[in-house]
Amino acid sequence: MGDNNINVKLPPGFRFYPTDEELVVHFLHRKAALLPCHPDVIPDLDLYPYDPWDLAGKAMVEGNKWYFYSRRTQSRITSNGYWKPLGVDEPIFSSSSGQKVGMKKCLVFYVGDQPSEGAKTNWIMQEYRLSDNGSSSTRSSKKRHSRNDYSKWVVCRVYERNCDNDDDDDGTELSCLDEVFLSLDDLDEISLPN
Amino acid sequence: MQAEDDMSISVNGQSQVPPGFRFHPTEEELLQYYLRKKVAYEKIDLDVIQDVDLNKLEPWDIQEKCKIGSTPQNDWYFFSHKDKKYPTGTRTNRATAAGFWKATGRDKVIYSNSLRIGMRKTLVFYKGRAPHGQKSDWIMHEYRLDDNSNTTAHEPENVCHGIGEAALQEEGWVVCRIFKKKNHHKNIDSPLLLTSSCSIVTAESARGGRLRLGSNSDEEGTLEKILEYMGRATCMEETEAIFPTATNGTSSPYICDRYMKLPSLESPKSSATTTDAPVGQMNMNAVISTTGHHGLYSFTTYQSSETTGLSDWAALDRLVASQLNGQNETTKQLSSCFGDQDLQLHQQLHRSLSSSSTFNQVNNTRNGDNYDNECELWSFARSSADPLSHMPNVPV
Repeated sequence: MGDNNINVKLPPGFRFYPTDEELVVHFLHRKAALLPCHPDVIPDLDLYPYDPWDLAGKAMVEGNKWYFYSRRTQSRITSNGYWKPLGVDEPIFSSSSGQKVGMKKCLVFYVGDQPSEGAKTNWIMQEYRLSDNGSSSTRSSKKRHSRNDYSKWVVCRVYERNCDNDDDDDGTELSCLDEVFLSLDDLDEISLPN
Repeated sequence: MQAEDDMSISVNGQSQVPPGFRFHPTEEELLQYYLRKKVAYEKIDLDVIQDVDLNKLEPWDIQEKCKIGSTPQNDWYFFSHKDKKYPTGTRTNRATAAGFWKATGRDKVIYSNSLRIGMRKTLVFYKGRAPHGQKSDWIMHEYRLDDNSNTTAHEPENVCHGIGEAALQEEGWVVCRIFKKKNHHKNIDSPLLLTSSCSIVTAESARGGRLRLGSNSDEEGTLEKILEYMGRATCMEETEAIFPTATNGTSSPYICDRYMKLPSLESPKSSATTTDAPVGQMNMNAVISTTGHHGLYSFTTYQSSETTGLSDWAALDRLVASQLNGQNETTKQLSSCFGDQDLQLHQQLHRSLSSSSTFNQVNNTRNGDNYDNECELWSFARSSADPLSHMPNVPV
């Protein structure tokens, strides 16, 4: 992990863990605006037909997560299955302005034929698109025109969900045992009636 | 809206971290790359990890000082030099103006390619002054190189490092990560109104834990680790009066089987045994039943009174269950858990047992039930001011 085709030279320990906001504001927005992406690490798979396990070697990988650009589409059918939306889309806000900058859609991969034949898998896709409700009357027609172009693009993160949460132990999380110790510390503190 | 500034982020005015990238080193990278270079006075690219005097900076100050660029961070890294050696041993006070860092749990051994390369200590920040500090959500992982790693790598793993190592680990450079604990587990910090502490010490964990370093008996060991810790927590307070209730007539602390076969206490009989306890004495019995195959354990707790403690046990129960579900890391943790203190625990156990042997109470009702020579349950029931200790057991 970490030694992917990144044209960035960083010391050990740096990894591609973009926030939702970064994916939308930096990567997706620049892609849609045809601005150069620096670093240009996320490949464009167009309307990809790949099964999730075929993404290796095609999408950018960091850890066990794959990243790629694609076009927005209503149905994502691959050779062996399909992606089915899960739940409601989640808005992504800019941390600086508080403005809604994009939407995040969650999809689950099913093996088999649509619509109901498929078998659910643990493969998850998070599909980010630029916010399409930001076109208030204050915007010029020119901007509205380019917005249409923006809405074509999505950036996707695909990973296989484990039974435990997908944080590794190196993450900023305590193990369950640590939690136990922490609560036992409290027992330590209690002064007992002589 | 477009954040052009995010294009390049300077780190200490020297270099840049592109958007989307985070400093999220593995433990191995922290030890083998960063700390090794630090110790060897080698230059480190980008200088991402700064030196921090732990006594001068509060956690929130460290958060400010150790920022990497302007991207949001969940954890912060720094080097710290421990040059004060406290003769009192393992519980070093790392005090700041506003509080202190206190170690919790046991140090975890860090492996690289199955070679031991270092240790990780977990500390919690308390606001205020010991012993009345107020626990905060700030956690620190302190990594130190294993100075013996080169020499002990090929020795048997049950080598006792003992006191010398404890003294050694209070000196030199360490690399630390601090972060704020997320409160996923809502019930962990439930009200701790227990007036009695309870412990089960499996004799095997006291005796054979060290020998099991590196073995794969994860689930079993996890429970033992918890139980043993509980035992230690009790035993360490040696000034308190401890009334061990030997549940078996024999005094052999050894257990032959790998698996604990503890009795199931769901029968009404067991509540009768509890009421046999002297007035003012409260028994809290935790029962571990192993279902034998596939490492599936159910951790059932019984409590004779005090429903306030119930939620704690339920929380512990859930924790154990969740821990057993994802066992990958536990193997490593386990290896460290049966470390330095086993011997100590064992001695304490014997001491407390023998010193209060006059209070020993042989519980005949249980004798010959499910107990045999394979296992032994030592239940330390502590004197409690609560007279209402005769309520029947309530299965959780």
